[in-house]
Amino acid sequence: MSKENGPPVVTLKDVTKIYRQGSLEVPALRGLSLDVKKGELLAICGPSGSGKTTTLNLIGALDQPTEGSVVVEGKQLDKLSRTALSELRRDRIGFVFQAYNLIPVLTAYENAEIVLALQGQAATKRRKRVMDLLGAVGLEGMEHRRPDQLSGGQQQRVAIARAIASDPAVVLADEPTANVDSETAERLLDIMVDLNQQRGVTFIFSTHDPRVMERARRVVRMVDGKVESDETKA
Amino acid sequence: MAWRNLWRHRRRTVLTLASMAFGMTLAVLFTGIGDEGYARMIELAAKMDGGHVTVQHPEMLDTPSLKHTVMDATALADTARADPQVSRVVTRINGQVLLATARQSKGAAFIAFDPKAEDPATFSLLEALHEGEMFASSNDKGIILGERLADHLGVKLGKKVVLTLTDKQGEIVSSLARVTGIIRTGAPTIDASLCLLPLDRVRQTLGYGPDEATQVAIFLPDHRNTATVADRLATTVAGRAVALPWYEAKAELAGFIAMKVNSTLFMEVLIMLLVAAGIFNQIFVSVMERSREFGIMMAIGFSPGRLFRLVMWESLWLAIVGVGVGAAITSVPYYLGHTRGIDMTAMVGGAGKKAEVAGVALEPIWRIAIYPENAVYILVAVVGATLLSGLYPAWRSGRVVPVDSIKLV
Repeated sequence: MSKENGPPVVTLKDVTKIYRQGSLEVPALRGLSLDVKKGELLAICGPSGSGKTTTLNLIGALDQPTEGSVVVEGKQLDKLSRTALSELRRDRIGFVFQAYNLIPVLTAYENAEIVLALQGQAATKRRKRVMDLLGAVGLEGMEHRRPDQLSGGQQQRVAIARAIASDPAVVLADEPTANVDSETAERLLDIMVDLNQQRGVTFIFSTHDPRVMERARRVVRMVDGKVESDETKA
Repeated sequence: MAWRNLWRHRRRTVLTLASMAFGMTLAVLFTGIGDEGYARMIELAAKMDGGHVTVQHPEMLDTPSLKHTVMDATALADTARADPQVSRVVTRINGQVLLATARQSKGAAFIAFDPKAEDPATFSLLEALHEGEMFASSNDKGIILGERLADHLGVKLGKKVVLTLTDKQGEIVSSLARVTGIIRTGAPTIDASLCLLPLDRVRQTLGYGPDEATQVAIFLPDHRNTATVADRLATTVAGRAVALPWYEAKAELAGFIAMKVNSTLFMEVLIMLLVAAGIFNQIFVSVMERSREFGIMMAIGFSPGRLFRLVMWESLWLAIVGVGVGAAITSVPYYLGHTRGIDMTAMVGGAGKKAEVAGVALEPIWRIAIYPENAVYILVAVVGATLLSGLYPAWRSGRVVPVDSIKLV
């Protein structure tokens, strides 16, 4: 069983994000503060426009806050260079997208391996790691298939393997069950919960899916760019 | 990954490769026709008169006259022969002569040569002998006339012709010669206005010394070394004579070749620009339609530099495959053009006729033979154009803003 402990791997402090569309200012986050500890399985939920996506973008170093700070493993993101942000995303953050977003010209194995290759890890080490992960997500024997030869659920499993390949501090999963049927969604959740419990992978979900909220141990509900409730299950 | 990306849209890539191959084929064929054709023109001009490098009196070029001679032709020829890039050296006298028969007279150009020292490799007109025979010696009393010149003078083989020349002192001198041969080149001007004379016989007529001549004609195995050899010889013979490269001695021919080379180059640049535009279009569209994918790649850790390199690798693969396909497609017309040539007989007025440029009779069969360095230039241009075309799309790929292109929700 995973334990949430130690200093937070993600800290958002008084974060405001305002999108400007010409002279119009659209506030997406209004003074959001949030700590996420290692090993947490956190679901951020809320209606459309509540700021879930913006929150994931900021934690994933894909965007910068208008005010406030985002800290990942002690590094304040707005202080980092573009190169350092690329390295942070490569080494410490994993992404699982709603639409899988695998690289279509690469096989399942190569998609799962790509981050390790970017890190410059040795081929033998990569192979061992990737085969272990593909086994963990139930894709043995499908290493050589390209994304268009895999079902949606299988593609999402490859995406999960890719996201955790570099042993990141946190995996950001955007509606990971939205594009699959109920049975596949349950299987994907089983895999991610298992990875969280067995390997201590920290997951932050953005979701509308009640099944995800049910399986998460902490549920943060957002409304209008602010945390409305933050509930940790016993 | 770059190789696989290249084949995502197979039809588009094949069309781009076809345009590259087409451009490369045109460039190689045009350059090959030019290289072979101009080289042949230069060889013919050199073998017609003066060689690739002509050593002559300093004033001969501007004021041609039989007064302007070099006194030590043998020594100058020996100096030229010592140059490692020189293959043959011959001595000649050339100038103007008035030819007269009982019925007609006509001015003509003459070339006096030593028949023992020359062969078709140094004097192309030896192959144009249509009737009669070549001089037996340098003291032969014969004259060989162009076919139309003989017709104009109304003489045939064995008939006598009076030669009238102006000697070194400016005096009019005459001698008698018997027609021993008729040449037919097919080039109207040459056949109508040129005669050949034996060298020593002309020396005697003009009162020249035994080592005196108007030119030492120097031949090279490769005309592209002309400038180097001419520069070396100019230094060696300075004070006694000048060493003129063919493009100075035959400025009209050089101007014609330069004009044709430049027009070919201009056309090739246009072709390359069109090909580059096609390549740019392929790569740019390919990058723009993958902006979401590039956003994903940046999210999972690709740096802008890595994305730039990825697209540049795609450009390089495109260039390599394009050059390979281009080489394969070019090989067939090149081989046919090289071995069989392109028959332009109909364009020069039919069989037996030749076009003439700056006094050089051109062969009616065009052949293709590209210089290796020019083939390399074309390859470099194709690869360079492809890589340059990829630069902007590659830069754009690294400027993708992940949060805009991915749209997480």
